[in-house]
Amino acid sequence: MFERFASDARDAVTQAAEEATGADRIGPQHVLLGAVRSPDSVAARALSQLGVDRARLRSAVRAIPSDGLDADALAGVGIDLEAVRAQVDAAFGAGALDDIAAAPRSGGRKPFDAQAKKLLELSLREALRYKHNRIDTGHLLLAVVRLDDAHAAAALHALGLADDDIRTAVVVAWAESPVGRP
Amino acid sequence: MSEELMTAAAGASEPAEGLRAVRALRALADRLEALHVQRARELGWSWQDVAAELAVSRQAVHKKYGKRFS
Repeated sequence: MFERFASDARDAVTQAAEEATGADRIGPQHVLLGAVRSPDSVAARALSQLGVDRARLRSAVRAIPSDGLDADALAGVGIDLEAVRAQVDAAFGAGALDDIAAAPRSGGRKPFDAQAKKLLELSLREALRYKHNRIDTGHLLLAVVRLDDAHAAAALHALGLADDDIRTAVVVAWAESPVGRP
Repeated sequence: MSEELMTAAAGASEPAEGLRAVRALRALADRLEALHVQRARELGWSWQDVAAELAVSRQAVHKKYGKRFS
């Protein structure tokens, strides 16, 4: 499906894999962070109008528990994550537990999780909705809004961004520069 | 994962709570496994030795870690 992706969206997807370091799968939040990696991307320009830059978005995403280590859930079954972390640090060096990425479930490229796949489908729908030939990071951002998931969309909401404002900002960003360059 | 902890994960009253605990345990176990496999390989362990400790086949462990910790 990536043949319909404009270059900024293609970069976003590639960078999503880097954003997913430490997770075993690429989630919507990684795609969202990938979409704003370049300040020139449609998504980055749209969010910038709303006063959100990459660093703020990243902290908002980080504040939401993800596939990373869930200290609360572990505490619920009697595991003190901080104690585990201290032991691992002692044995493997500081930060080892956070730096080691879980092995991919299958060899080769890190897979998208179900939500991220859904996000990519929704981005196509957003492009069709605006009769655009190509999918860019603006469509990816709108797809996050549509997906309304517990990671990426939740991070946008945590930043106080309203869905309608995001949509307007994306349309403005499109108006600033041609849509969907290959 | 001790038997006691498995019981706790199994015994959570709400499915969501229990499932979240299982997912958290699995994520933690995956990371610990990767750290120990990496170290074992650095110390010169064969895939066969690593597989034997994990009680899985040599092929399984090689498929999972072969590229990362060759």
